[in-house]
Amino acid sequence: MQEFLQQVVNGLTVGSVYSLVALGYTMVYGILRLINFAHGEMFMVGSYLALSTVSVLGMGQVASGSLGGILLVFLISMTAVAGLGVLVERVAYRPLRRASRLAPIVSALGASIFLQNAIMLIYGTRFKVFPEKLIPQISWEVGGVKITLMRVVILVVSLLLMAALYTLVQKTQLGAAIRACALDHDTARLMGIDVDRIVSLVFIIGPALGAAAGVMVGMFYYQINFVIGWTYGIRAFTAAILGGIGNIPGAMLGGLILGVLETLGAGYISPGWKDAISFFLLILILIVRPTGILGERVAEKV
Amino acid sequence: MDRYLKAIPPRAWYVAAGLLLVVYPFLTNDYWIDVANFFGIYAMLGLSLNIIVGYAGLFNLGHAAFYAVGAYTTAIINTTFHVPILWLVPLSALTAAGFAYLIARPILHLRGDYLCIVTIGFGEIVRITLVNNPLGLTGGPNGVLGIGRPSLFGLIIKQPLHFYFLIWAFVLLIVLGTKRLEESRIGRAWNYIREDALAAAAMGIDVARMKLLAFVIGAALAGVAGNIYASKMAVISPDSFTFWESVVMFSIVVLGGVGSIPGILVGTFGMFVLPELFRGFSSARMLVFGAAMIAMMIFRPQGLLPSQRWRRAMVDETVGLPAAGLSKTS
Amino acid sequence: MKKFVAITLLLVMAVALTGCGKKEVEPIRIGVQGPISGQWAIEGTGFVKAVRLLAEEINNGGGLLGRPIEIIEGDDKGDPKESSLVAQKMVASKVIAVIGAYNSTATEPASQIYDENKILHITPSSTATRLTEKGYKMFFRTCFLDDRQGLFAAEFITKTLGKSKVALIHDNSTYAKGLAEWTKKYLEERGATVVFFDAITPGEKDYSPTLTRVKAIGPEVIYFTGYFSDAGLLVRQAKDLGILETAQFMGGNAVNNPDYIKSAGLDAAKGSIITTEPVPSDLPYPEAQKFLQDFKAKYNEDVASVWTPSAADAFRVIVEAIRKTNSTDPVKLAEYLHNELKDFPGITGPITFDEKGDRLGTIHKAYIVNEKGEFVPYK
Repeated sequence: MQEFLQQVVNGLTVGSVYSLVALGYTMVYGILRLINFAHGEMFMVGSYLALSTVSVLGMGQVASGSLGGILLVFLISMTAVAGLGVLVERVAYRPLRRASRLAPIVSALGASIFLQNAIMLIYGTRFKVFPEKLIPQISWEVGGVKITLMRVVILVVSLLLMAALYTLVQKTQLGAAIRACALDHDTARLMGIDVDRIVSLVFIIGPALGAAAGVMVGMFYYQINFVIGWTYGIRAFTAAILGGIGNIPGAMLGGLILGVLETLGAGYISPGWKDAISFFLLILILIVRPTGILGERVAEKV
Repeated sequence: MDRYLKAIPPRAWYVAAGLLLVVYPFLTNDYWIDVANFFGIYAMLGLSLNIIVGYAGLFNLGHAAFYAVGAYTTAIINTTFHVPILWLVPLSALTAAGFAYLIARPILHLRGDYLCIVTIGFGEIVRITLVNNPLGLTGGPNGVLGIGRPSLFGLIIKQPLHFYFLIWAFVLLIVLGTKRLEESRIGRAWNYIREDALAAAAMGIDVARMKLLAFVIGAALAGVAGNIYASKMAVISPDSFTFWESVVMFSIVVLGGVGSIPGILVGTFGMFVLPELFRGFSSARMLVFGAAMIAMMIFRPQGLLPSQRWRRAMVDETVGLPAAGLSKTS
Repeated sequence: MKKFVAITLLLVMAVALTGCGKKEVEPIRIGVQGPISGQWAIEGTGFVKAVRLLAEEINNGGGLLGRPIEIIEGDDKGDPKESSLVAQKMVASKVIAVIGAYNSTATEPASQIYDENKILHITPSSTATRLTEKGYKMFFRTCFLDDRQGLFAAEFITKTLGKSKVALIHDNSTYAKGLAEWTKKYLEERGATVVFFDAITPGEKDYSPTLTRVKAIGPEVIYFTGYFSDAGLLVRQAKDLGILETAQFMGGNAVNNPDYIKSAGLDAAKGSIITTEPVPSDLPYPEAQKFLQDFKAKYNEDVASVWTPSAADAFRVIVEAIRKTNSTDPVKLAEYLHNELKDFPGITGPITFDEKGDRLGTIHKAYIVNEKGEFVPYK
């Protein structure tokens, strides 16, 4: 039982990272019907930028960087990656808005390859290490289950960001505009909504959330390399579909479920089969309930 | 430029291409012959994927799975029972096709992008299975080694030059076969389904069966490519069947021009031979490659040599986004 | 926008193309192949850096037999297909010897091509046993076979530490899996029980599911046979889960890297033990320390892994063979390496090859991470 609870705690930590990244996939898909394969790289770039900020600010020297400093790291990385997101949309996706559905997939894959190799050339091929004492090493033991401070931080920050996004989309006028664009571009335009601006907004929010996840992954695991964008990206995308793509609460739920199930699979079945288990689950869900857990109907009538 | 190219009769193109194909290996060294060999293998993969993506319009980003099934079938049976490689060509095609049948059946009703992600999933499941060495068959991460060489009329095919003729003979057969297929009833039915599945169904086409057929035939040809790859390399491992391979195949089809056979050959050239030419500046090679993929799609979203049918489809498409409903909550 | 993209692209290509033109008079060409891009890029670039460093030194000192050394790089991405292409390309560019490939699956097809074309081929890192069992006369390796380290690790765990409940974790790479399997075999021969034997997926960040399982099983020793980056993650997460209080963490020679301690954090890493070839500062040869200092001075970083000095050694034995035989005929060089090279002072220890091209002897030792974050010999 103790082992099981520990696994659930482990799973919730990775799951909340998946959720944050999944939001970027789900929003872009909701608005553009595009699988943004480059989104995982946003997460990765966010992580690298956090590392650069930390070393520029010299936070590695100070034992446990101040709260303000850490917030600054988040802010800088999220802003810069949001800018990158908008840039990628402008260069790689906007010219293809009216092309066939295949072209944006290839363009997105190209953007992903480009970003990954750009980071590799800038930062080098070896993995990078975050300073050890950035976050205080506090941990609690609750009924035999070990919980570290960073695990709590990841879960809380993720939930806060997701709650903020949910409020934005559901309760504000801007949110209504986003929802309108997701339903139908042309009608939204007739209603006086600047669709391009909304698309840009989505490419600000998604990458910024992805960057936040990247920063936390760097601080939690200490080391990052230029291929993490793919490993986290594919899982986050799986999470988005699991929850029902285009659906914001679905992405959150999908991430947490995937995180926990994957962890249990790795713990009780075999770590070697971990990814196979999550993909199998995804396929099963799509066959049994093609809409995902909370999502729209996706099957064609045939 | 297009106009001048069109003035040349198609037959002249075929003759020139045929001549070049025969003369090429005698003008170069082993390295360039081997480049042509892998070009040929990728062309086969591109042509096979073209049936699924180009003809039937089904997004498949896990084609490496079928390629892997073909290669491992050949490798395992050849190393355990010493069945000659070329006899295993039909068997590899059959197992890959059977595998495609099993996995495609339940997922065919999924819409484009979902199919895309599910095929990625299958591709990864196959690769992970190979790594985990079920029943001790696949050799785990080491793969299968000591695969035999094909022999034809007593000649053991071993040198790059021998493989060149074997591989390109297969490519030629597949080109002719898919050409026939494209123009047949089945080909036209696929075309119809791709453009409008609902209307196709109304016209009495069994949409599900036709989609399944595209998957099965495409997979069978990928299985053939797998057979040849296994015998060419003599050792195969899961590293050769990663998601990246599927990306390359998919990009070959889209860059070259969906649904077009000459397009596939040009696409293969772009995805495989060009990076080879840039081997000199190793570390930035992939960076340029990624940028080129984006640039290509911006300048020629329909691919370099799109098929006539797709070209029409592109022009007719007035609304960029399908009007399918989105989630109410987002 | 389109124009901008097109022009940038053209410029990049133009710059890239102009870079490949230089030619010198009759140099000795030596190839280095390995994964220079992709997920193993760190290892391939490590090979290239090590070899370039040494070649530069020789060229600055007037070359070898009065001829400069030219290094030719080939990126095989760790893929067997790319590897065979790189090999063909090396043949075409008239190299006399090739150092590489990194992983066994990429080395295998290349070794065949090099043997057919009579080119000396030394791999710094491919440990699969089968590579030297084909009777290729041109193939050598400067790394040790997995079984010798496995034997050492089993002896160390059972005799020195006196432990008998062992968890073995590998990463499904040829090397790590091989080492784990050999260790398992030798442990069981010595009456110890292997209570856990499974792989993690390298490149992943979260290993706590596996570790939570291991914790529930309760081994006395956890021996990880994979790479330092994953080892760093493992040991840190093991500490977070409170496993290190009851189990000793150990790593194989691929953990022998300063970055292991950095990425684990000193708190978690201290007290962990590695089995490895002697660390360079422990070797009686000035060559070893000089190489490490020069490497750090030139690239402003420590060597990436044990395979980097191993690649340097591959280059150094080639140079030694050329000097001693006064020839650049690969067949003569191979004969020299097989028959005459004895206890050559390598950076990774004395080098002698047997008739199959395998490196002889076992020189493994155990090191422990001390309070200051250094590897010190385990007494």
